[in-house]
Amino acid sequence: MMPTLVLVEFIWVNIYGLGLLFQKILRGSTVFKVFIALTVSQTPQASSNLLAMDWQGQKLAEQLVQILLWAFAAVSFGTGYVLGSFQMMMLIYAGGVFLTTLVTVPNWPFFNRHPLKWLDPSVAEKHPKPQQQQAVSSKKKPAKK
Amino acid sequence: MHSFGYRANALITLGVTVLALMCAMASLSDNLNFPTPSAQVQVLNVNWFQKQRNGNEEVSLTLNISADLQSMFTWNTKQVFVFLAAEYETPKNSLNQVSLWDGIIPSKEHAKFLIHTTNKYRFIDQGSNLQGKEFNLTLHWHVMPKTGKMFADKIVMTGYRLPEEYR
Repeated sequence: MMPTLVLVEFIWVNIYGLGLLFQKILRGSTVFKVFIALTVSQTPQASSNLLAMDWQGQKLAEQLVQILLWAFAAVSFGTGYVLGSFQMMMLIYAGGVFLTTLVTVPNWPFFNRHPLKWLDPSVAEKHPKPQQQQAVSSKKKPAKK
Repeated sequence: MHSFGYRANALITLGVTVLALMCAMASLSDNLNFPTPSAQVQVLNVNWFQKQRNGNEEVSLTLNISADLQSMFTWNTKQVFVFLAAEYETPKNSLNQVSLWDGIIPSKEHAKFLIHTTNKYRFIDQGSNLQGKEFNLTLHWHVMPKTGKMFADKIVMTGYRLPEEYR
């Protein structure tokens, strides 16, 4: 089974790569731009990325993924071992993965309880961005090892 | 964790890694099992024992194969493959093994059995070595897991002898 899992991971990584490419194409499309235009008007705060959580939410999401998956792993292995049923272990674990997906992947409201306060556009205009200097100080320093 | 795709990928990757870990642990748990199998084979009859035209000798046997292999089934066992081999020595080869019968035991309930059969596979030797030959009947088994390491072992039963003359 383990070689199968390695193969599954390999295939998944490639599919994910293709998915990223698809996203790039999608974001550039007119359909997507219309979708954003329609929805952004309803939610002025989260205009930069509709599928984003705030920073606290992201941390919470990561913690939930770890806690839920490891907990379900322990419960499913323990139950399977005690009952002597490999199938029971797989069923409980699969259910656990599905539940974790439901809880952590969609952008639920409780992941956005600490939203960032962006400046109002009218206030931002009064403070123009600093000009890019072509002086020595802006030369990139090599990274220290 | 700033997008749907990012979180889904992290979750699935961790999910598969943890699954691999559980499978490794399940395989390791098989080492906690100490099987106590037993087996017995009776040669009920030597049906015939002939010399072929191509110089080979062939024996046909009727066997009673009985075994209790229930103790080697664990929660991580998919099936047990078992086969019976006749083992003997000739001047040319120190060990000859001829598989006479095999079977697949799919579950613990089927692991205690008595099989009455002629040999499933032909017992053939090249030359004239089998007359009056003493041989062992060895029951080999492979415990095939659902995930992880396969265990193989055997029971050797001695004291069998082929007839001196063809019949």
